[in-house]
Amino acid sequence: MASEFVTAIKTSEIPAGGITAIDVRGTRVAVANIGGTYYAFDDACTHEQCSLAEEGELAGTTVTCTCHGSEFDVRTGKVLASPATLPLKVYPVQVAGDSLQIEV
Amino acid sequence: MARRFVIVGASLTGATAAITLREEGADGTVTLIGAEHGPPYERPPLSKAYLRGEVPFDKALVRPAAFYAEHGIETMFGTRVTRIDSSARFVELEDHRRVEFDALLIATGGRNRRVSIPGGDLEGIYGLRTVQDADRIREEMVTGRRAVVVGMGFIGSEVAASLQQKGLNVVAIDPAKTPLFRVLGEAVGQTIADLHRAHGVRTIFEDTVAAFEGTRRVHAVVTRGGLRLECDFVVVGIGIEPALDMLDGSGIVLDNGVVVDEYCETNVSGVYAAGDVANHYHPIFNRRIRVEHWQNAIKQGAAAARNMRGKRIAYDEIHWFWSDQYDANLQYAGFHTKWEQLVVRGRLDSGSYLACYVNDGRVDAAVGLNRGKDVRRVMPLIKSRRAVDLELLRDESVDLRSLHASP
Repeated sequence: MASEFVTAIKTSEIPAGGITAIDVRGTRVAVANIGGTYYAFDDACTHEQCSLAEEGELAGTTVTCTCHGSEFDVRTGKVLASPATLPLKVYPVQVAGDSLQIEV
Repeated sequence: MARRFVIVGASLTGATAAITLREEGADGTVTLIGAEHGPPYERPPLSKAYLRGEVPFDKALVRPAAFYAEHGIETMFGTRVTRIDSSARFVELEDHRRVEFDALLIATGGRNRRVSIPGGDLEGIYGLRTVQDADRIREEMVTGRRAVVVGMGFIGSEVAASLQQKGLNVVAIDPAKTPLFRVLGEAVGQTIADLHRAHGVRTIFEDTVAAFEGTRRVHAVVTRGGLRLECDFVVVGIGIEPALDMLDGSGIVLDNGVVVDEYCETNVSGVYAAGDVANHYHPIFNRRIRVEHWQNAIKQGAAAARNMRGKRIAYDEIHWFWSDQYDANLQYAGFHTKWEQLVVRGRLDSGSYLACYVNDGRVDAAVGLNRGKDVRRVMPLIKSRRAVDLELLRDESVDLRSLHASP
C-alpha cells in the first residue's frame, strides 16, 4: 500500500511541549508539538521500546527517552546520544484545518 | 601536540576515546590495546537482555568490528600491557614489544573482587564481567535449576532478576540489610528487596557465605548464620577493584584507582585515565570520585580524548546510571555518600518514587524507581548546587523543572 497522508488527530489534542501517541493504520506514532510545529515519529524508542509519549522529554527538537537516556532529533530521527544506535523512524506531517495529517 | 595516541583498555571507555579522537579530527596514530579478544563491547546487557538470551552479542558491540580499521584506529586486541614507562613514554606488551606514545589513556577498568572462601575454587561458581563470563552463566540457566547469587549490589541484583525471569529458583544473599544498601540506604534498598521477593527470589540479608560445598562442583552454599542452600550453580557479584597491575613503578599516583584531575590527566603530563579505573576530581562535588557505570565510561572516555588533543575541557558530568530489574527501571543521578535527609516524591512502597539525598538543603543525588522523567529533571538541580525548598521538592504537583528555572 502506497503511503498517504492520513488525518490522525486534532492539533488541539497535542499540548505545546508535549508528546501524544496515536495509532495510525496500525502503527503507534508519537506526535510532538514544539512551539506550534508538529513532528511525528515512532512511539517506541529504538533502544528498548519505551514509549516516547510516556517517557520522552523534549528540549528544543531533541527528544530524550528517559528510560535509558537515548536522544533523537525529532526532525530527522537521527540518534544524538546512545544507548540507542538505530535512528527513529520519522513521518511527514501536514496541518489541514484543525487536524494533523501524518503520512504513513 | 600529541601525534601518537595510545589507549590501554579496549573497553567502552577506550573505544569511545579512540572514536572521539578520530571523529574530532586528531592527526597522528591512534592505537587501541586491550586484553580481551575481539572488538570492544558494552557491558550493561551482560547482566540483563544478553544474559537472558534476548539480544545477540553483536548488539552490544561499541562499533562493528570493521569500523576501527576503516577509521584509522590501529587495534591490538588479545594483547596485555604489562608495564607503563611514563618517563621514556612507552607501554610494554607481554611479548616485550614496546609501543611508544605522546599521549596515553589508561582505561583498564576493573576486575572482579575475589574473596577467599573455602570451596571458592569449585566448578559452577561464576563472576560476571566479560561476555565469556556471561556465556558460562547462560549455559547454566536452565529453567527449574537452583542458583545462589552472592552479593546484591547492582550486578547481583540484575543477575538475580534475570535468573528469576528465566524460571530458575534463585536465592540471593548479602551481608547488608538490603540490596544496594551501601549506595542507596535501607529505606530505598528495602523497596528493591520487596521487588525481588515479589518475583519469587528468596532473599537472605545480614548473612554471608562461610563455605561452598561440593566435591568437584559446587552443590551447596553454607552461610555463617548456619543456613545450607543447595544449588546447581553460584554467581558472585561483590564488586570490582581497579585494574592497576601494569602501573607498578610507573610513577603514576594511585589511590583507589588512577588519580586524575578534572581534565582526566594524571600527575604525569600527557598520561590520562578514564572510566572505571579513574579516580577523578569532580569540580561540582569538589572531591575525587571513581564511578563504575556506563555513562561515565562514554562521557569520560570522550572527555579524556579531547584533553589528550590539548583542549582544556573540565569533565563535570553529573553521574547517572540505570539498572533494569524485572520490569522496573531504577535510575540514579548525582553523587552522595551520606545524607541528612531523604526527601521522597511519591511513596516508597508504591513502585514509583523519586528519593532525593539531601545535605545542607541541597540535592546531592537522587534515585528513581520508574521515574525516568523526574530523574532527568532533577539533574540540573543537582548540578546547580543550590538549596531547594524541600516541601516543593516533595510536592508531586510541582514540576521539578520549575525548581531550578526560578532565579
